Amino acid sequence: MAEIRIENVTKVFGDFVAVDDASITVRDQEFLVLLGPSGCGKTTLLRAVAGLGMADAGRIMIGDRDVTYARPGDRNISMVFQSYAIFPHMTVRENIGFGLKMNNASQGEITSNVEEAAELLHIGDLLDRRPNEMSGGQRQRVAVARALAMKAEVLLMDEPLSNLDALLRLEMRAELKRLLREVKATTIYVTHDQIEALSMGDRIAVMKDGLIQQVDEPSTVYAEPKNQFVGSFIGNPPMNFLRGKVHMASDSVAVAIGGSEIVPSPELRDAVSSFDGRAITLGIRAENMGALNAQEANTVRVQVDVVEPLGAQNLLTVRVGDDTLKVSTHPTFPVSPGDELWLKFPADQIRWIDPDSGEVIAGGTS
Amino acid sequence: MSTSNPSRRRSFTPYFLIAPTLVFLAAFFAWPMVQGLILAVHDDEALLPLVAVASVEGDRTGELSQGAAVEILGQQGNTVEGELTSDLLTEQWFRVTAVGTDGAAVDGWAPETRIRVRDEANDGTPLAGTVRPRLGEGAEPLTDVLAEPNERAEVTGSLDDRAEVEITQVTVLEVWFNVRGESNDGATIEGWAPSRFITTFESGEEGRVDRGSDGEFTLRFVERMFNDRFFSPALRTTLLLMAIILPLQFLLAIGMALIVHSRLKGGSGWLYIFSLPMGMSDLAVGILFFAIFTSNGLLNSILDLFGLIEEPQVFLSADTRGWIIGAIVLAELWRATSIVMVIIVSGLQAIPDETLEAAELFGATYWKRVRYIMLPLLKPSLLVALILRTILAFQVFAVVIALSGGEIVTVLANETFRQYFSLRNNNVASAYAVFILLLSLASSVFYLRIVRTQDELASR
Amino acid sequence: MTTTSPTVKTTVEERKPPLTLGRIVTYGAAATIGVWILFPIWFLFSLAFTTPDEVRSFPKSVFPFTPFSTETMEFFLTASGVGAGLVNSLIVALVAVVLSTAIAAPAGYAIARYLFPGRNIFRLTVLAVRAFPVVVLSIPLAVLFIRANLFDSIISVAIMHTVLTLPTTLLVIASVFASVPYELEEAGQVFGASPWQSFRHIVLPLVLPGIAASAVLTFVLSWNEVFAASVLTIENRTLPALILASLGNSSPAFQFAGGFFLMIPSIIFMFFIRKYLFNLWGQVSK
Repeated sequence: MAEIRIENVTKVFGDFVAVDDASITVRDQEFLVLLGPSGCGKTTLLRAVAGLGMADAGRIMIGDRDVTYARPGDRNISMVFQSYAIFPHMTVRENIGFGLKMNNASQGEITSNVEEAAELLHIGDLLDRRPNEMSGGQRQRVAVARALAMKAEVLLMDEPLSNLDALLRLEMRAELKRLLREVKATTIYVTHDQIEALSMGDRIAVMKDGLIQQVDEPSTVYAEPKNQFVGSFIGNPPMNFLRGKVHMASDSVAVAIGGSEIVPSPELRDAVSSFDGRAITLGIRAENMGALNAQEANTVRVQVDVVEPLGAQNLLTVRVGDDTLKVSTHPTFPVSPGDELWLKFPADQIRWIDPDSGEVIAGGTS
Repeated sequence: MSTSNPSRRRSFTPYFLIAPTLVFLAAFFAWPMVQGLILAVHDDEALLPLVAVASVEGDRTGELSQGAAVEILGQQGNTVEGELTSDLLTEQWFRVTAVGTDGAAVDGWAPETRIRVRDEANDGTPLAGTVRPRLGEGAEPLTDVLAEPNERAEVTGSLDDRAEVEITQVTVLEVWFNVRGESNDGATIEGWAPSRFITTFESGEEGRVDRGSDGEFTLRFVERMFNDRFFSPALRTTLLLMAIILPLQFLLAIGMALIVHSRLKGGSGWLYIFSLPMGMSDLAVGILFFAIFTSNGLLNSILDLFGLIEEPQVFLSADTRGWIIGAIVLAELWRATSIVMVIIVSGLQAIPDETLEAAELFGATYWKRVRYIMLPLLKPSLLVALILRTILAFQVFAVVIALSGGEIVTVLANETFRQYFSLRNNNVASAYAVFILLLSLASSVFYLRIVRTQDELASR
Repeated sequence: MTTTSPTVKTTVEERKPPLTLGRIVTYGAAATIGVWILFPIWFLFSLAFTTPDEVRSFPKSVFPFTPFSTETMEFFLTASGVGAGLVNSLIVALVAVVLSTAIAAPAGYAIARYLFPGRNIFRLTVLAVRAFPVVVLSIPLAVLFIRANLFDSIISVAIMHTVLTLPTTLLVIASVFASVPYELEEAGQVFGASPWQSFRHIVLPLVLPGIAASAVLTFVLSWNEVFAASVLTIENRTLPALILASLGNSSPAFQFAGGFFLMIPSIIFMFFIRKYLFNLWGQVSK
């Protein structure tokens, strides 16, 4: 049983706050992805969990143990490093067995664990090679095998795939996912790649500027971002944001966008109407808008700038006033640059965002 | 060395750029070194060739060795080769004009043995003289004048005794001796040689070959070095110092490097202090430790302060060789550990942080990280430092002189200096230099071999 | 899951990990080594700046400069031969700096920027020359200078010191050039500068501090060198050669003041070149 509880952890470098009062609980055997742009503090937070950089404030619990100030070696964790950190003077076998040896495991245990881990990673035939005779992908496997051989309850991964080329990364992604399901360790996986995060994690914690923005399952983070940043950081293309102005109609509230009007779904009317007379931001994903040739309810008139055929879909870049939107359409939908279209905004797919704070007011299917 | 994207195009530019370095090193490094090597095993003055006639063009009749005894059979002037120096045995010849025996005008050369100068210019140049009368029975009454200042030249006329002559020209000739002696293979040979190579004894009829003009390869100087009474103490002390200093130095340097690498507060300040002795003159450091160990120095003052001694102790004397060695060890540890530290720190910096963090994360304590990660990865740096320090240890000099005066305790470099400077024996000095070079090379090769053998064993 | 923008939290309860025993031991060791290095220098410093009487006295104060006086140092500086020796030392060091920089800089650039057949052999040669024992080279060079009538001339010492420092200078300069990306030069040329202009305006300003550091290092090496200087000169001695030759018959006041005087350049200059120390060795161990 190894639940990781990160409680109000803060880490400061000089006068730069790298991690600001972060709290996350990673459930036993859960695969949590820490996602964020570079410099957001995700690696710093991971290192605090690893014990490689002490937290300045807060508490870190692994299982029932307070490990905030424990030495890394005493935390019952293992880790895959971004640069792999394979020991260049040791053979693959010595590398994988290093942690066991340091923890005074018996020779028999070392041998069996090393071979088991090597089999899992399909590097059984490389055991007596040295790292300088191996490719980047092979070293990556050694790094993972070394981490798995420890059979620690907690596995930390710091951008393990970022040094691989695109094709290898795709392959390793699937393999890592399979492996981690098998080994059942509680895993924290740091990445800046939102596709990795969406495809691998049980849950995703999105960070920005040292702050945790949202912790949720991938589908939730994707469909129901808590704020404008999360929406813009996750998904390709990112969520669209456009400005509208709220005004009260006779019996209801409506939002004016480029001469058209959008009516929020009934359960959000009160929330949106509190912005009466002010600007509001709409967030909506490219695939959630319907492209129409004629006006309907909740449609906005747009002009097509660019059409990018992507095979399974066409990606349109369209303009509404000063805002630019990305819209995906079925490849058979006839459109060319310069055309005018009507986009349907389904009320239940719109996230309403306070333009001052960037926070979602409420919205979508929640 | 990593070069950032060096240009791969073929051109002559790099050769132009390295040419000055190559030329300079060829002229002032390679060339003198070759000369130095030759000097150690080649005696430039071993042999004196004899020639059939007193002339550089004369046919060789054989060689006499340096030191061979000779009989001097005769002498004769010859053109001076090279510079005219005051220690050369010379004779003057005069070009004279006079009325000859037969009444005709005569113009020719005669040696100073035949002409007495009677009149000189203010600067001493002879202007006129008379022919010396020949004395004794059967003496030839006439004096011949010759076409050239050479006894084998054609006779152009003859003069009566006491004939008055005008001197129009003077030339200085080196005296050559006609000698007879025993060559190396036991044969008696006879021939001419310039007098500068021969020391004559008082009688003037016997002499000795002082030095030769021809060289030969010889192990004489090497033997002289090995047989020198200071050689074996110097070698022993040099090796002893090395055996004491190097292990201590590497332990200390590794410790200092780990401290610098452990990111204490005031990081580069520690590095500056720790590397301070590295730039210091070895002579100054020798003087510094002399100031500590001399009888009214720091050590005695401290001992006195704590009441441990009644009166100043003498540490640096012939009776306290152990103290001198100890002082040299401390001085060298103080002075030369920094360079080893800098090499090791530079090696430590090349180890990625993540490698050490990975070891830490997998449970390695600090000492295990040192033992299993840092030291193995530092092996190339340690090897470089070890080779460098060993080569430098063979050259330890000024510290030893400052602490011992170079007599009580001596080292190889000091003996090189003594042979060259005090004893003026370039050949033996060169032999010492070559010996030091061979020791340096041998130890470097030895270290490299050990490391390679280890690697081979490890890769099996 | 707060939403405020990050700010410096001054109210955060600062919980530093406790100062571990290992840390205390490390600081203790660092301080001990620091004292071991600094105290002797301090001691000689104090002897050089007191009266010659104090230099002769016993026991000496362990907390010295009592009395503080420039008398000893003045005695040294005005002793016969010291002025000339100082001038000789400076000339020799400056000539060595100029010669070795001028000769080594182009070669350093070539090593850093060009891949050419023979590059590795050249590099290894330079490395071998650097490791070469100075004692071994001095004697033959002295003999050669005697033959060339250059003996007992400070030019011969300057040339010897150039041989000694050239390889180091070359390797430092090469590593400094290598640290400036070649793309910068290419970028300069793309924007219309000639190769020389882009070298002059882009590379040179970036490498100048490194070259200055290697010049300082050359100066210190030459200033310190005593064996070759003693072998190559009799009358025209450099300062260290002069002090070495007079060790047997000079007063302690002269020696101590001289010893400290010799230390001064390295104490000052090491401070300025300390970050380049690793350029000297970083590349060798690769």
